[in-house]
Amino acid sequence: MVAVTESRLLVPVDESASLRNTVAHAVEEALDRAGESGSPAAVHFVYPLAERISFRSSSTRAESARSLLDRVASWAEEDANGADVTIETALVATHEYLSTPNDYADVLVRYANEHDLGLAVFDPRYDPIGSTPLLPSLEAEVRRAGLGVEEAPRNAEQSSQPLVRRGTLTQFFALFAASFGFYLLLAGSVAPFELATGAISAGIVAVALWRVSLTSPVAPPDTVKRLVRFCLYVPFLLWEIVKANVEIAYIVLHPDLPIDPEMVEFDAAVWSALPVTTLANSITLTPGTLTVDVERQHLIIHTLTASAREDLFAGTLERAVRFVFYGRAAARIPSPFERREEEES
Amino acid sequence: MTPREIAVVVLIAGGVFFAVVAAVGLIRLPDVYARAHSTSKSETLGAVLTLGAVAASYGIGFNTLKVVLLLLFMFLTNPTAAHAITRAAHELGIEPWTGEEGEDEP
Amino acid sequence: MIERVLLGAATVFILVSLVGVYRTIVGPTTPDRVIAINFVGSNVVIVIALIAAAIGEPGALDIALVYALLNFLLSISISKFQVERGGVL
Repeated sequence: MVAVTESRLLVPVDESASLRNTVAHAVEEALDRAGESGSPAAVHFVYPLAERISFRSSSTRAESARSLLDRVASWAEEDANGADVTIETALVATHEYLSTPNDYADVLVRYANEHDLGLAVFDPRYDPIGSTPLLPSLEAEVRRAGLGVEEAPRNAEQSSQPLVRRGTLTQFFALFAASFGFYLLLAGSVAPFELATGAISAGIVAVALWRVSLTSPVAPPDTVKRLVRFCLYVPFLLWEIVKANVEIAYIVLHPDLPIDPEMVEFDAAVWSALPVTTLANSITLTPGTLTVDVERQHLIIHTLTASAREDLFAGTLERAVRFVFYGRAAARIPSPFERREEEES
Repeated sequence: MTPREIAVVVLIAGGVFFAVVAAVGLIRLPDVYARAHSTSKSETLGAVLTLGAVAASYGIGFNTLKVVLLLLFMFLTNPTAAHAITRAAHELGIEPWTGEEGEDEP
Repeated sequence: MIERVLLGAATVFILVSLVGVYRTIVGPTTPDRVIAINFVGSNVVIVIALIAAAIGEPGALDIALVYALLNFLLSISISKFQVERGGVL
């Protein structure tokens, strides 16, 4: 990686759930690097438009690509907030067939060389070919061509996210199936009448809400894995809850009311809406702690006793939630207490 | 008494105990936040135990499923509601109670 | 026997709810009242479920389910309304 060009970033873009976050990350990264090296910051957002057989004509695809690039540019300017960074967007490869990661890497590397860009920042969900997991091999190819490669952090949800998002068919059917199942559960029979009314109601629900209710694309294998890990989490949580209640019962029934309430704040090391909700709810349910406010992953917590505060900062719950959503590896991130010590030292 | 009846009675006793604890907490604790502790935790456990008793009294069947669903729902919504209320309290600027003498520790 | 236990528990829950009513009247702040009402609501759900089991009327469970839903919505919307002054959702 050449130090001089480090602050010049290439960001391939495509419609994706985490795109907003990636743009923010890229701009921030460019400014950081520019500040360190003293060279001007630049971010080029590139949309590789491939010639391909599709229902839509290539001109409508080019149009939607252009509108996406416009959106990205306005986001980037919003993030730059007047800081000195050059933002450019480009539509490349308009008349080429791109079918493998190599083709994409070629296009990106060519663009990078033409514009003297030193580092490629990828959206974690970047997947222009669809269906095949493109990213790892694409990253490897780009790296081989001598560029720096970085992946934007996954999943940090934006608070300004619109209520209605782009929906996929999987989302639609997942919502339909869930509503239908719930209806039949309440009806308690599978008579033709119930099936018909259930299908109609579930259809209405799915049509009205499919772009609102499920916040991220449904990926069945991931969901199943999470469910299994969640089932492991439940007994642990139940045990914590029983402990919490015995403690509260003791405090409340004690004649002196031995409480020492205090508000504490900390940044949780979990990154998207559902895990943060799970963590916040778990905190509320366990010994002497109650989540008062959540802003992204910054939690404000009311603690009833000193021992509750110690338990909270030991980070057992947080670790368990990470295990549920991100698997075993993520459980080893340091606890809030250790993180705080690191900051102070 | 059959084992099932014993289970029902034990669960109900637990549920009633925690509901009473929640009520006592609601009276005795000094501010909104502390009271939310008592309702969100004790009340949730009380509800879960009592609904568990109801489910047990039905035995295995369709109604049990419904009660379990109700139980899960209470389990999810009670802490969320408590959180929403305390959050509102926080944003309205209600100061948490920190002991009679006020700020006497760092 | 079991019916009587269930009904007895329902009675206790109703008595306990009166504490919630007391807190609702005394306050002193609006969130206090909302918490108290939420507490009463949860108790009502439990009472409905207990009575449904005691008198053998499973249909009442649906009522309990809907009531639990309303109880939750009530707390959430009042909290939202308080903070945003009219801008619910």
